[in-house]
Amino acid sequence: MTPDKSSETGLLQTEESRRSFLGKFAGGVFAGLVAPAVAGQVEPAAAAPPSAPAGQLTPVIDLPEAVEGEHPQKRMMEDLRRALQKPVDQRKWAMVIDLRKCVGCNGCTIACITENKLPPGIAYRPVMTETHGTYPHVARRFVPRPCMQCDNPPCVDVCPVHATWKRADGIVAIDYDKCIGCRYCITACPYSARSFDAGYFYSDFEGGERQPYELLPSPEYGEDRVRAEGGSPIGNARKCTFCLHRIERGELPACTLTCMGRATYFGDMSDPKSLVAELIGQPNVMRLKEELGTDPKVFYLT
Amino acid sequence: MTIKDTTVSRRNFLKMGGVAAGGIAALGALGTGFKAVSAAEARRRLQAETKTAYTACVMCPAECSLAVNVENGVASTIYGNPYAPLNSGVACAKGASGIQMVYNANRIKYPMIRVGERGEGKFKRVSWDEALEFIADKLMQIKKEHGAESIIMDAGDVTDRDPYYYLFRAFGTPHTVEHGAICDTPRRHGPKLMFGGKRVEPDVMRPVLVRQPDGSLKNDYSYRTRLIVYAGWNPFTATRIVYESRGTVEAKLNGAKIIVIDPALSNTATKADQWLPIRPGTDPDLFVAVLRYILENHNDDDPFRRYIDWSFLDYSQGWEEFEAEFKSWWNKKDPVNGLNYFTVEWAAERTGLEAETIAELAHTFGITKPAAWVWGMNGIGHHYNGYVASIIGTALNVITGNMEVPGGAIDTELVKSDKGGNAKGGDFLKREVTRVINGQEVTATVDELHMDWYGKWPAGWDDVVGDYPDRFLNGVKLKYGPFRGHEYPIKAFIIRTGNPVITGSNTDKWIEALTAKDGDEYRVGLVVYIDTPFLETGMYADVVLPEASYLERMSLSDIYPSHQLIYLRDFVIDKMYESKTQYDIMIALAKKLHEKGDPDIKPEDFWERFPSEEDFWNEALKKAPGRAHAGEPLPYPHLPVNYKLYGTPDSLEAGNVTIDDEGKKVVGEYVTAQWLREHHGVAVWPMSWYRFKNGGVLKTDSKKVDFTWDYDLDGNRKGRYAKYNKRIEEAGEAPPGLQDLGWDKYPRTFYWFETRWNPYTNPDYAKYRDEYPFQVISGRIHHAMSGTQMVDWLGRLTAEDLWVPLNDERVVEEMVIGENGPTPTGRKVRIPKNTWCIGVIQMNRVDGEKLGLQTGDLVELETPLGHKTRGKVNLVETIRPGVLRLPFGGGGRFSPGLGKTYDFRDETPNVNALVDPDYHSPIMGMSLYGDMVVKVKKV
Repeated sequence: MTPDKSSETGLLQTEESRRSFLGKFAGGVFAGLVAPAVAGQVEPAAAAPPSAPAGQLTPVIDLPEAVEGEHPQKRMMEDLRRALQKPVDQRKWAMVIDLRKCVGCNGCTIACITENKLPPGIAYRPVMTETHGTYPHVARRFVPRPCMQCDNPPCVDVCPVHATWKRADGIVAIDYDKCIGCRYCITACPYSARSFDAGYFYSDFEGGERQPYELLPSPEYGEDRVRAEGGSPIGNARKCTFCLHRIERGELPACTLTCMGRATYFGDMSDPKSLVAELIGQPNVMRLKEELGTDPKVFYLT
Repeated sequence: MTIKDTTVSRRNFLKMGGVAAGGIAALGALGTGFKAVSAAEARRRLQAETKTAYTACVMCPAECSLAVNVENGVASTIYGNPYAPLNSGVACAKGASGIQMVYNANRIKYPMIRVGERGEGKFKRVSWDEALEFIADKLMQIKKEHGAESIIMDAGDVTDRDPYYYLFRAFGTPHTVEHGAICDTPRRHGPKLMFGGKRVEPDVMRPVLVRQPDGSLKNDYSYRTRLIVYAGWNPFTATRIVYESRGTVEAKLNGAKIIVIDPALSNTATKADQWLPIRPGTDPDLFVAVLRYILENHNDDDPFRRYIDWSFLDYSQGWEEFEAEFKSWWNKKDPVNGLNYFTVEWAAERTGLEAETIAELAHTFGITKPAAWVWGMNGIGHHYNGYVASIIGTALNVITGNMEVPGGAIDTELVKSDKGGNAKGGDFLKREVTRVINGQEVTATVDELHMDWYGKWPAGWDDVVGDYPDRFLNGVKLKYGPFRGHEYPIKAFIIRTGNPVITGSNTDKWIEALTAKDGDEYRVGLVVYIDTPFLETGMYADVVLPEASYLERMSLSDIYPSHQLIYLRDFVIDKMYESKTQYDIMIALAKKLHEKGDPDIKPEDFWERFPSEEDFWNEALKKAPGRAHAGEPLPYPHLPVNYKLYGTPDSLEAGNVTIDDEGKKVVGEYVTAQWLREHHGVAVWPMSWYRFKNGGVLKTDSKKVDFTWDYDLDGNRKGRYAKYNKRIEEAGEAPPGLQDLGWDKYPRTFYWFETRWNPYTNPDYAKYRDEYPFQVISGRIHHAMSGTQMVDWLGRLTAEDLWVPLNDERVVEEMVIGENGPTPTGRKVRIPKNTWCIGVIQMNRVDGEKLGLQTGDLVELETPLGHKTRGKVNLVETIRPGVLRLPFGGGGRFSPGLGKTYDFRDETPNVNALVDPDYHSPIMGMSLYGDMVVKVKKV
């Protein structure tokens, strides 16, 4: 639990939160089970450290000057840099997915798997296909489904060991060292956005010898864990983090960067100048299972 | 590899207990862990050895520009390169999953030589020297006994082929071929005849770098397109023209209407305003009806009927003759339906669309500008008469004034950057050779020995790989040109990154040709397979060579952008196992042949000329961008118009150039690999429109749009068909494809003929209508062609009702490609039910219910020729009744190098098991992948 463990800014917040939670945990291991509501609390903003100097951020892509529009990746990287100048608790990360533009390529699904080093059977961002109608009146659309990073996350309340919590910037995080793999959160998530890492490797099905890419550390939460038998995140619940480790370097989440139809947007919705704030204000915006009161931070344009 | 240092080792026993017994048991594990190396230290070490390399993809032929992150020498993630406007920073599932292609147990790791019979898959590991010695000996012997023309170098599906072309052309064979031959040649035909081009695409690649009125260069993001018609073209899944994914949806949100004509609801069709589920093989019928409607209903004085933009007459020739020939059909009655040819009612009968729908389509296309009429590979390229659709499609874009206008249509072949040049070895084909024909010595050039151009397929300018089995079995007899009467067998087939046994026409026919014997000897005496994955054709090889994967080698992009753009494929990671790059293989084999005394392989052409790989590709880059400086806004106002430009964008911009008025060219500083590396791997030259003006980028003899193809120009016979017709006239004999049509030579202008195996349009096949009630077509899945099926990630993604997790539960004995080829590992792997995507037969629900079928039922398909394949049906609403769609390369895969796709080979359909092995499309010899009918029987 050394403070220098994570690199910059919000990842440190993870540390702070964990420390606080540990304190809470020590105060009564079973209290959480009796009164789960306690675990749902968001940590006080006081834990938020100042921002990292801009010099440590990945430079914004340097493209020729634009006329009649602009490169969305450039715009969103600029949005990110502005957000990263603010304290963590003043950022409100949000994703907007324009279903009119999703072409069903599944690029996001795979880019996410490679970025986060996910094992067989886990995809943080599957793309669901919905087909309606009878020939020849048939419609099909593709619905990518990342973690909704709910403002009222049902997964957090049920965790018996307080291993998952909502960060000050709205991202729902997991402490793999605390997670006991009970999978209550997986059941609780109304979006099926959590998965259990059962310890498989791709090479288990192809020769048995670990391939080099399977031995690369996962950058999740800035922890650089190498998946190996017996070690976290094997045996843990896992989920999308909006690529927290990337955004805090000033880089877009994997899904947003790779999106073939340019259907995915990411940024700080509390910044009125951001692209996501602009898009969220459109009349054709909707969220999944709004009626549950989860207050998702993933918005869909239809 | 130092990754192990960062391993987080802790509480192994307890955690695994948690995995096995569930959450409660794991409670005990809490908080007992420790880390061997602090994560901060691990991260610090990692970042110290992390780099981003810019390169070009080959997971599919789109060849997107990539930014690959490498950690401690291991490629970790693949993203798009934002500096290349082609994909502009995005990458699809295929692109991102390249990691699993590169790091895969099923890679070919070492050179191998066959020890069993062809097809058995039995090999032994040998050294490179041994393998090359074997190949060189055979090549020398074949050249001595039969001539180098008995050798084919098929450089396959991946485009960085130049080193192989260079070597084998130097050795003396005219047969250096590639994937284009089996891709979509009829689809390309119209643009080739009429523009000298190949692929007409909508102007939706954004951003484009454009010269501004103030002289600056800026990135333009505007979408001006108002209408796109995609016929038989599914760019969202077949990502060859990758920018059409984002471009189409962006254009639509900016007000464009999208119409998709396809028997199946493709991913592209899901974004269309209108989906027209046409009967397969009737695209030409629809296209001619649209043209007739436009010609009949055009009115210069009515703004709502002003379809034709007559300015096309200024930059075209031959329209009057074309139009007259087209109209000559109007009063003829079709024996199939008794209606006048090309009317909307006639087309309705044939296409299965409503006459009103066709009229509305024609009107909409005529009146909406700018627009693009775009046709695709499976829909048009896979049919016997796809040529007609391709010609009419081209004409539609021209006469409505949509070619080269902002937001209109662009022939991307004409405007992409040139490359290759001397590194292609074209000069070697002009060397003279002597053959004895009927006792007489004849001397002419190497390329005049070409088996297609001087044999069965004079206009097969992209080569005719689909007809190779016939030549393997029966040999070549030249009928045209100076070597007329010369006969030779095909004795060596070198195949690299291709898999014709599955994709090159009928699978059984290819196997027959590769295993035919004369006595104890195989008729094709040498088969060499060079690739990174081990596919079916490798099973029939005598020698297998491991080619370095695309992250381990160097070359150039081969792409179809809206303007000149090129990027580098660069070394990203070290070469794995014993693989070699194309350059390595070229030099190593050239040295062997030289040592053995071959007079045509000279040190000054090989290792002395290209001491390093980079030298070779720098030679290829000397041709870039190599297009006429044309259009508006003019890319470089300070440079002369219509001169060909060569050199880096910055040298042209700065005017650091030599102007050659005689050769009409401007030469700046040549683009080099190093220059590209210093510019994110990419060179971008400015976009312009109206590039046909004053000839511009057109590559026809007339420097205009040609509506006739064998014509007189200043006393010379010109046009794309002229040279073939001259050969035919000299020989007094038409090639077999034309004889099938009853033609004595290639037509001067518009032509019409019916497709084959279509009982609804061709009276010869009407008799099959009842007994064989289903037409069979193919579609793309996320896997690119046949070569990526071992990629686990792609096996878990569904695609277009063709690739779905309908597998049954199996415990399989695992195979990998070991040092001696396919090797059982002795491990048993369980694949649970419904967890792995397999290729299936897409069928309309109503058709299935009539046959008493349910989704998942195994059926057998049988053609009138008795060819069969089997697979599971997927009953859906997303396909026209009477049509079955199968994944191309997605089933019946019997190479053990294909991972789980191999494990389900007995219940997945191979669409090319059904292809007519004997007929090829009549002009360019394309296999008839999309022309077949079947009956369905439940197994």
